[in-house]
Amino acid sequence: MTGEDLRPQILVRDVSKSFSGRVVVDVDELVLGDVPVEGLLGPNGAGKTTLMRLIMHSIPLDGGTVTLSRPGQRDVLLSATRTSQMAGLGVVKSTQVITDFEHLTILDSALLAVTEARYERPFAAAADRTVRKRHEEEIRHWLDYFGFDDPLAVALSGGDKKLLDIVRCLLLEPAVLLLDEPTAGLSEDHTERVKAAVRQLASRGTSVVIVEHDLDVIWDLCDEVIFMAEGKVLLKDKPATIRANPTVVESYLGAGSA
Amino acid sequence: MSFVTSQTSEASTNPETVVPPGERKGWSKFGLSPGWAISVVVGVVVVVLATLFDFWATTFVVGATENAPLVLAAFGFALLYRLTGLLNVAYAETITLGAYFAVWMNNSWGLGFYVVLLPAGLLAGVLSVVTYLVIFRFAKGRRVGNLEMIVISFGLSIFLQHALQFVFGYRRRAFDIPPPNTIEVFGVGVSSFRLLALASVAALTTIVYQFIQRTSFGLQIRALASNEGLAQASGVRPLRVTILIWFVAGLCGGLAGVFYGAGASVESFLGIDELLLILLVVLVGGIWGLLGVVVVGMATGVALTGITLEYGNSLYAELVLVVAFLGVLKFRGRRLTDGSKV
Amino acid sequence: MNLDWLDAFLIFGAFKVVEIMGLGLLVHLQLGLTRVANFGVVGFWGVGLYAFGVAHLKIDWPFGDPYQFLVCAAIATIVAAAAGLVVGWLISDLDDDGTLVGTLGFATIVVILATTQQGLTGGALGLGGLGFPYDFSRVKTHEFTWLLITAAVVALIFAYAWRVHRTPHGRLLIAVGANEALARSLGKSATAARLRMMMVTSGAMGLLGAMHGVMVRSLEINSLDVSVTLAALAALILGGTARVFGAVVGVLLTVALFDIVIQFYLPIPDGWNTQALPVAREAVFGAAIVLMLIFRPQGLLGQMRRPALMRRLHGDW
Repeated sequence: MTGEDLRPQILVRDVSKSFSGRVVVDVDELVLGDVPVEGLLGPNGAGKTTLMRLIMHSIPLDGGTVTLSRPGQRDVLLSATRTSQMAGLGVVKSTQVITDFEHLTILDSALLAVTEARYERPFAAAADRTVRKRHEEEIRHWLDYFGFDDPLAVALSGGDKKLLDIVRCLLLEPAVLLLDEPTAGLSEDHTERVKAAVRQLASRGTSVVIVEHDLDVIWDLCDEVIFMAEGKVLLKDKPATIRANPTVVESYLGAGSA
Repeated sequence: MSFVTSQTSEASTNPETVVPPGERKGWSKFGLSPGWAISVVVGVVVVVLATLFDFWATTFVVGATENAPLVLAAFGFALLYRLTGLLNVAYAETITLGAYFAVWMNNSWGLGFYVVLLPAGLLAGVLSVVTYLVIFRFAKGRRVGNLEMIVISFGLSIFLQHALQFVFGYRRRAFDIPPPNTIEVFGVGVSSFRLLALASVAALTTIVYQFIQRTSFGLQIRALASNEGLAQASGVRPLRVTILIWFVAGLCGGLAGVFYGAGASVESFLGIDELLLILLVVLVGGIWGLLGVVVVGMATGVALTGITLEYGNSLYAELVLVVAFLGVLKFRGRRLTDGSKV
Repeated sequence: MNLDWLDAFLIFGAFKVVEIMGLGLLVHLQLGLTRVANFGVVGFWGVGLYAFGVAHLKIDWPFGDPYQFLVCAAIATIVAAAAGLVVGWLISDLDDDGTLVGTLGFATIVVILATTQQGLTGGALGLGGLGFPYDFSRVKTHEFTWLLITAAVVALIFAYAWRVHRTPHGRLLIAVGANEALARSLGKSATAARLRMMMVTSGAMGLLGAMHGVMVRSLEINSLDVSVTLAALAALILGGTARVFGAVVGVLLTVALFDIVIQFYLPIPDGWNTQALPVAREAVFGAAIVLMLIFRPQGLLGQMRRPALMRRLHGDW
């Protein structure tokens, strides 16, 4: 990296969201992506997942703006962009709940993620082979990396689905990657692999934001941690500082974990 | 998906919460919701227009009375839709059955219109409950998805439309009753049956609405509509409540069917021919809750009559309304639900 | 061609089988893959039928058949495809309930327009004068030839549906149907995917409508009946919505059973054919939908077999 300023960043300004009168997210100003990997920490209901969904614009904002800035390119107002256009801009998010396409095999999922729109038109008859040829190497790389033995099968276990979700995200070659509890339910080996993949991605210039309840992942991986509670961003600092902060310890970490 | 009014969202956070009268704001202080206030204003405008202009008098009086069954049917449908989330196409046959029962009792035993009205409605209500227990409850127990449920109700509707012909005959059937009295309203002659239809709409919708809003049973219904799991946990017995709702919905549909049938004749497609308008009234009116359904239903009836009077063809009226409603649905309508978020 | 062995009604029965098979295959792409429940199949088919009829009868073409047929059939296809685009847009962000009302509403609009625009369509009386785009002197030969041509068109529709399962387009449709939100998050425009699918399938439905117009040689308002939608849906659900062969198997067990086997080969009392049998047919189709979806929702042929297909396509992975 040549400097911190050259990372893709997301600027969240005055963003708010309430559900049936209860304020879930209320962020005045937050910059994501000024360090390679950031962690988003907070008790249940702090608004972490909702904030990520607001960034992806998969739920409407009550107010405020979300802007994407990438080095050498024009800024994009994400809060005025459709969810389906986010991946094209390099903004990608993994899902918190285990989710998959029913009926589709693992290879299907991987191919779906990499297929360009022009090959998905109704009369593009011979496109499947073309797509495979263009992307076989990267798909193989990630499927092998996470140990998918039989990509022609449907992902059955929750862990496989979770990993497949991450594979899909990685195949999209994100500029900003939002990971919502990526290692929940994964084996130790797979957790380490996800962490290594995140480090590798970050070292190549992707800005990664992680929500994770497994605190070891956060302390290990993150260059900076943002602490949220009741929809607001309370602190943003180095992991060690956050870890020692009395408010965080009291409201979230609990005694003895510091 | 069910449409949520302020009432149900209140119930969803806590079914026990009832706003004390002293804390109500604005119109509600006087026991008036904005919906009621608007209804009163619209009512005054209607009366003024009807007294001043013949065309409007005819449109309002004929529209409101002739299409009262539409409002009644839509209200029953909306009740069911709101509680179960099921867009039940076979509701059309509840309407048809009400008409068939009435015409059968009338033709076989020579019973008068006013005598057969209520029994026919009650029978339709019972049959509505039977379809729930035999088909929909059973299907739900087998974890049939929402899309499949709609297709099942479509299949059931088609089945009943045709199977009923083997029971009640292929021919159209008509009531054997003396012509109803004509009563003058704003200088427009209306048959007493139609006035009764309008009165039934007013009575039934008011009773059911008050029942849902004021009684503890109604509270259970609201709780069940917003969150089945939570409602069950707080002691609501879903089966009892659900059966009641299917019955009341069937009653509304059956009565609507009797009124439809008395206005013309009875055949097995009577209900399905009215279904599209009912669906549209329910989906569009439902944006503003149950009262919205009644108001939009009334407005639809008046618009149908007005356009028909002006252009001399009821099909044009239907065309205009279907297009308008689809437009409203598109722009004011029903976006993807919570479950589909990533 | 000596066709004395062939009953004229049998040709019609077979034509119906072929026609519904085509519609069923198209509904398979809509419902089975993309999970769009089209309750207005008859609308798209009917818009094709009427567009074809009106273009054929009301426009003074400077050339004769078969070019006149080809041009009018193309018009029918384009009009139906445009209708598919409009309806697809209308229902693009509505849920299943909205889709039901949207498609049903569209079919109703088609019927109303066909009834009211008497100058163009003949209204409730209908309009005669359509004919076959060739002349072999004998009506039965005409009809039999048309049956074969329609069968060829349906075979093409089958080939297309079969192919779609093997392309990225089909994969996208399955993904959008199974999990629209997830597809969006992968950068897929679910709306565009649905619109394209609706355009193609509706256009083909319109073409089948035009083919129907030639076979019956007239426009009749009664043909715009929900029974068209019902037959296609019932057949597909019986066979299996997610399988290409679902519609084929389903139509053989429903339409072929009633319109060929029972009508021609069972000793049924006189008079049943006109009243009891058609009514019973619809009742049975309706009941079949209910029973199948409750007891075997995947249909006789069962679930989509994506792993097996992927093994055939990418076995060398």
